[in-house]
Amino acid sequence: MLKIENLHAEIDGKPILKGLTLTVNAGEVHAIMGPNGAGKSTLGYVLGGRPGYEVTKGSISFDGEDLLEMEPHERAAAGVFLGFQYPVEIPGVSNVQFLRESLNAQRATRGEAPLSGAEFLKVARAQADALGLDQEMLKRPVNVGFSGGEKKRNEMVQMGIIDPKFAILDETDSGLDIDALRIVGDGINRIMRKADKAVLLITHYQRLLDYVRPDVVHVLADGRIVRTGGPELAHELEREGYGQVAA
Amino acid sequence: MSVLELPSVREEGWRWSDPEAIAAAAAMSWSDAPVDPADYFLDLPGARIVVRDGEVDQAASDLHRVTLGHVEAAEHALGRRTAGPGWVLELAEDAAAHPVQIVHVSTGGSNHFAGAIRLADDAAAQVVETYVGAGWANRGLSVTLGKAARLMRAVRLIQAGGFTSLREDATLGQGASLVTSFLGAGAAGTRIDATIVAGEGAFAEYGGALLSAGEQRQECAVAVRHAEPNGQSHQLWRAVAADRSTASLAARVEVARHAQKADGEQSLRGLLLKRTATVNLKPELEIFADDVKCAHGATVGELDARALFYMQSRGIPRARAQALLTRAFVADALDRIGSVVVREAFVADADAWLAAAL
Repeated sequence: MLKIENLHAEIDGKPILKGLTLTVNAGEVHAIMGPNGAGKSTLGYVLGGRPGYEVTKGSISFDGEDLLEMEPHERAAAGVFLGFQYPVEIPGVSNVQFLRESLNAQRATRGEAPLSGAEFLKVARAQADALGLDQEMLKRPVNVGFSGGEKKRNEMVQMGIIDPKFAILDETDSGLDIDALRIVGDGINRIMRKADKAVLLITHYQRLLDYVRPDVVHVLADGRIVRTGGPELAHELEREGYGQVAA
Repeated sequence: MSVLELPSVREEGWRWSDPEAIAAAAAMSWSDAPVDPADYFLDLPGARIVVRDGEVDQAASDLHRVTLGHVEAAEHALGRRTAGPGWVLELAEDAAAHPVQIVHVSTGGSNHFAGAIRLADDAAAQVVETYVGAGWANRGLSVTLGKAARLMRAVRLIQAGGFTSLREDATLGQGASLVTSFLGAGAAGTRIDATIVAGEGAFAEYGGALLSAGEQRQECAVAVRHAEPNGQSHQLWRAVAADRSTASLAARVEVARHAQKADGEQSLRGLLLKRTATVNLKPELEIFADDVKCAHGATVGELDARALFYMQSRGIPRARAQALLTRAFVADALDRIGSVVVREAFVADADAWLAAAL
């Protein structure tokens, strides 16, 4: 589904990713772990197409298409979802309006008919309920006044509504207490654990991986994947620290 | 036509104005504008008046309670040219009129016209004005509100070209209330000049949104004077400037020496959609009383790049994301409009502007 080859990327002329190669197949959950500053979030932003993150070398293909040739909104319509480490507050735009615009814009890009207000609300309410997000929060401006945990749940509600093929979840576990972690983990499994979907979990700690069992774990250090293994690698990292494993 | 005498931009009050744009609008050739004023009336009962090139088109108008007569004009560089025949809404004590709608159609050249609204004690009225067409439409308005009289005004500036200049003078009696909302969402240059004198316990809300694109220049120069104690005023303006346009907001609060407990709020915010655009903000306070509350805020910024990327990453194309964020920026100026029909018309005008400008 996703094939990254020898990816080099920089921000303001400073190289961050230095030859990253990674393949994620449909039906798989991959975890990317690594110390701070390794380039984990940069990888997420490069996949999402954030301005200022310049790819200098290498390629990314998604379902056989050149992802780097697509605008960020086209990547979304193609099925890529980027869950933000720090979801952005948007005063003056309600969650409902934002989500309906998002979903219908993706549908339009794919040549599908838009959902009506009633159809959309039904989907939105079901997802909010499943993730324990108060219905009232759907009416409020996007992420404004939300706690850290509520923002992360809201990301998962968005993912549930958009129903992407491939999700990159950047530190989705940060800011969550243990109950919220379970709810969010269940949400990821329910929405994304399917034969035709895949997930790239970017995380610093192994705790989310207790709820969302990865098939493959990678260690990212200094812009490259330095080790790849099964779920046991996450435990090894937790026990021994990045210093040992990444060395 | 007499030689145009326009104010000099060397005068402080006119420093951001564009006299050349007025002169150019006045020289626009006359044309049968393909504009049907009927398209611009909102679904409200009451008077529907078509002012075509500065004269009431009686055949196309239903004056209702509005009369036509001589209207004096304020001593003002542009406003004084409007003295002469004009429209008058005069309500007796306790009277409440149906809304008055006026569509001003210009078809080139310059036209001048005045209006007067005189509400006796406890009277209430609503007036909606829409400017369409092209040319220089110059208007004067005098408003006199008696004790506890209430006037709601909405002004849509959506001329396709030329210039719209408005000079407004309002005197508010004890406990009277004046709420005026402007939306500049056309392609004409705009100058809004106003002086509001608030009496004891009077309430004045005067503001709106000016959306500018291309080479357009729009500005307001508004002063609210609290002449008596316990008055309250809100001047909330939003300026959006795209391309190489300029939007300028000058808002002033004056509090007389004995006008204690006056509460004046000014909120001026500008949004630059391009680095080549300009927003000028000038909040001014002149306070002689010592027990007052006057808050003012003035900020200019750009759209939040993080929010733009966040929206794009959810599938919203960049231009649409910019439009949503820009509409959110002007929302607090438009959401204050009490009448749903009027508010929806303003939002539709703003959306049309955003779709064209972004």
